[in-house]
Amino acid sequence: MSERPRHRPPPWRQLAHALLALAALLAAPARADESYGRDAVVRHLCEAKSEPMAQAIGALLTAVAAGREEAAWGARIVAALDGKRLLCAPAGPRLLRDGAVLRDPVTGREAVAPDRLPNAPFVNLRTRAWVEVATAALALFAEPGGAAASAQVAVLEKQYAIVPETALAALVERQPAPDLRDRLLLVRALQSLEAPSADARVSAIATIAGDPTARNRTLLAALAARPDYAADPAVRAALDTAMAHIDTWLRVGEVGAVLFSGLSYASILFMAALGLAVIFGLMGVINLAQGELIMIGAYATWLVQEALRALAPALLDWYLLLAVPVAFAAAAAVGMAMEATVIRHLYRRPLMTLLATWAISLFLVNLVQVLFGTQNLEFVTPAFLAGGTRVVADFMVTWNRLFAIAFAVGILALALLVLHRTPLGLFVRAVTENRDMAECVGVSTRRIDLLSFGVGSGLAGLAGLALTPIYNVNPTMGTNFIVDSFLVVVLGGVGNLAGTLIAALGIGQINIVIEPLYGAVAAKVIVLLMIILFIQFRPEGIFSVKGRR
Amino acid sequence: MMRITSAIGRRTLLKTAAAVGGALSMPAIIRSAAAAEPVKIGCLFSSSGTMANIEGRLSHVCRMAAQEINAKGGVLGRPVEVTVTDPASDWPLYAQLGRQLLLQEKVASLFGCWTSVSRKSVLPVVEQNNGLLFYPLHFEGEENSKNVVYLNSPPASSVLPALEYLMSDDGGKAKRFYMLGSDYVWPRTINKICKGYWTSKGFKETSWREQYVPFGFSNFQTIVNDIRKFASEPGGQPIIVLTVVGDSIPAFFKEIISQGIRATDIPVLGLDVLEADLEGLDTAPMVGHLNCWAYLQNASSPHNDRFKAAWKSYVDTNRLPFRNNVVIDPMVSTYDGVHLWAAACQKAGTTDTDAVRAAFAGLTFDCPSGYKIGMSAENTYVSRGVFIGSVNDQQAFDILWQSDGAPKPVPFSPYA
Repeated sequence: MSERPRHRPPPWRQLAHALLALAALLAAPARADESYGRDAVVRHLCEAKSEPMAQAIGALLTAVAAGREEAAWGARIVAALDGKRLLCAPAGPRLLRDGAVLRDPVTGREAVAPDRLPNAPFVNLRTRAWVEVATAALALFAEPGGAAASAQVAVLEKQYAIVPETALAALVERQPAPDLRDRLLLVRALQSLEAPSADARVSAIATIAGDPTARNRTLLAALAARPDYAADPAVRAALDTAMAHIDTWLRVGEVGAVLFSGLSYASILFMAALGLAVIFGLMGVINLAQGELIMIGAYATWLVQEALRALAPALLDWYLLLAVPVAFAAAAAVGMAMEATVIRHLYRRPLMTLLATWAISLFLVNLVQVLFGTQNLEFVTPAFLAGGTRVVADFMVTWNRLFAIAFAVGILALALLVLHRTPLGLFVRAVTENRDMAECVGVSTRRIDLLSFGVGSGLAGLAGLALTPIYNVNPTMGTNFIVDSFLVVVLGGVGNLAGTLIAALGIGQINIVIEPLYGAVAAKVIVLLMIILFIQFRPEGIFSVKGRR
Repeated sequence: MMRITSAIGRRTLLKTAAAVGGALSMPAIIRSAAAAEPVKIGCLFSSSGTMANIEGRLSHVCRMAAQEINAKGGVLGRPVEVTVTDPASDWPLYAQLGRQLLLQEKVASLFGCWTSVSRKSVLPVVEQNNGLLFYPLHFEGEENSKNVVYLNSPPASSVLPALEYLMSDDGGKAKRFYMLGSDYVWPRTINKICKGYWTSKGFKETSWREQYVPFGFSNFQTIVNDIRKFASEPGGQPIIVLTVVGDSIPAFFKEIISQGIRATDIPVLGLDVLEADLEGLDTAPMVGHLNCWAYLQNASSPHNDRFKAAWKSYVDTNRLPFRNNVVIDPMVSTYDGVHLWAAACQKAGTTDTDAVRAAFAGLTFDCPSGYKIGMSAENTYVSRGVFIGSVNDQQAFDILWQSDGAPKPVPFSPYA
């Protein structure tokens, strides 16, 4: 083994810290009052050690709560620490970098720049928790009803153990919104589980039961195992009721999470497969370049984002929606060019189409590599797609997945509309059912082939757009989708969009159910086995189209 | 080591076919002109296929180091000539081109390979022909060939110090471990070593969970749900030991960001996460996650400043398609390797393999990482410094911890 990390203090130091902390605790708030000062806070932060930094931040929060310090100053210092703009020389000056200007962190006055800028103290994992708590709490002090208040309360909920008691009490008092107040009261309940009086414990337990998460269940279970809690019948009863209540909701949440994950995976499979369902299912062309059409849709989306960034930064958040026609058109154009130049000549030779489209896919991958490079493209996550929300218990819905599901529904509607409500759709269906007869009654099959190939390619482009918030975008991204797409289309039954939908839902859901039980690798194997078995008994897929093929 | 961008499929097959075709129609080895009687060294780094994006730049680093050596008069008074090949991310082709370099081109030594599987493919070739392969990646250890110079760290001197840090007070006192890896030899061996290590520290089997995903896997939703569930179970602070490779890395980070997991909730120790993997990610919500390597771009030393400046001007003058301000550990390891080789030849007075190997004992070099790295008579491992990096909001790593010196490398882990 190599040496131990330098930051870990030797045992005697740990003991000394513990004793110091104990002493500070015993010395009561009176002494903390006297010792608080901006200079001390900055000095302790500059020590760049976990313990003094944490204490300094704790003292700062307590002082702000008691009205002895401005929240704005605290926020400025904590932000500077977080952004590595608080510069500390071991013996020399302490500075705060504010844009191009250097200031004194205590007074805020401009300071003279030294020859060499000192280093910023490093925020490690332990102090980072304090920094996050302080940032959230100070923002709440400054503006209790701010736009981000809910997210700030969420930070306090997560790190409840280190939020200073007095600061929390002050935050509860100043919070105008009843729902946020309730959540802050929950944080207080988490802290007061250790309260000595039975009444306080019972009420804390009841409050916590109102937020049924696995973490809270674990906390309560730990209490139930302790003799001092189990001894009091009232507390014991409260614990049992609370745990039973949480268990029920956890089960509901789990079912919700499985359904949502399945639906989200299904929506991805479905979008990737839909374009292929049109091209392979309706036209019978084995298009191995389908994945690359998805990739082109994603690259088109990126180009729209970059164009907006350059020309209309105000609209940048809406690039995903603005890119819809572009992604569709770009992929459709590439698809139609493929059809007109290569595939058109090979309709009667399916094996040749397979080889030709394979070549096209390699060509497209390498072309994009030359034009854009091999690295992953960077996408701005629009504010409305960042993060997610907890629906019930630990069941979380993330906006990017929800967007993908909604988008998949939208694409399905669009495809059905085109196929069943437009003259083009009518002709496509006619050509699918009987090419020769359609030609006899005057349908220009050449034109229909070209257009339906365009529609199928465009749908793949839209899939690329919807995948950008979830997957990596690089030249080879299409490869990941091609096998899954063919599975879905073949399983669903060639020539049938409803079949594609059912197959995607089935594969997605089964995958998600198996994955936690046997692992992702086994899930893939089991799903493939199931598909092979299914195809053995029903080679035409779930739905088969009646008609001459 | 690792790093495969997507599953082996029809494309790899075609690339092999294309590469073989290329090899038939013209020599796969591109010669660079140099003065009379140069010393040749050979590069086995893929500049096409799935590994191209990151592995490709290592050949250029080799050339840059050779230029530096030549500017100072070469090796034994002879200029160094770099022969570059392209194994096209195809593992058997590494062995074939390696043999060709040794037997036909008569190179003095080989520099190459990224994934463990490619190294294992070249291994019999260098052993049969008594060649030397300089291997620049950190890897799973458990191998000690006298024909391979292991330029980077085995797990004992990279992974275990990082775990120890996370288990310390400053690292958040980790008590429970979620191991998530791609399904192949490197992650499985690393996790085996980790489990042995935790057992030796008194942890029970209930304090960890192991999960593997296929290459190229990117739908991490269910797994991250599982991680959240694991994290809320009793037993103390959880961490994630991440050994997924390639495209799975950014996909995983995207998912934990959108599920709202931050480093202060569950820190991720990403063992294969490099500066280049953060390109394309908004790293602000990732601040605090960790990695560990023998070099980080932010290492502060005059040698590092010189190396970064040299790479920047090399990229600019040769108009290479890489970002001139991104330097990653395997590049530095390759650079160290070329210089160590040159010093050994100089010391031995010949480029003969046995003499050069004997000359390794006691060699040192001022690595850009700021450490004086060295070799001993005991084995062909290089002792390197250790860094633990922490993701910052600039798509890079801050140095969280670094070892006091370069620890002695331990090829075989007692925990495996």
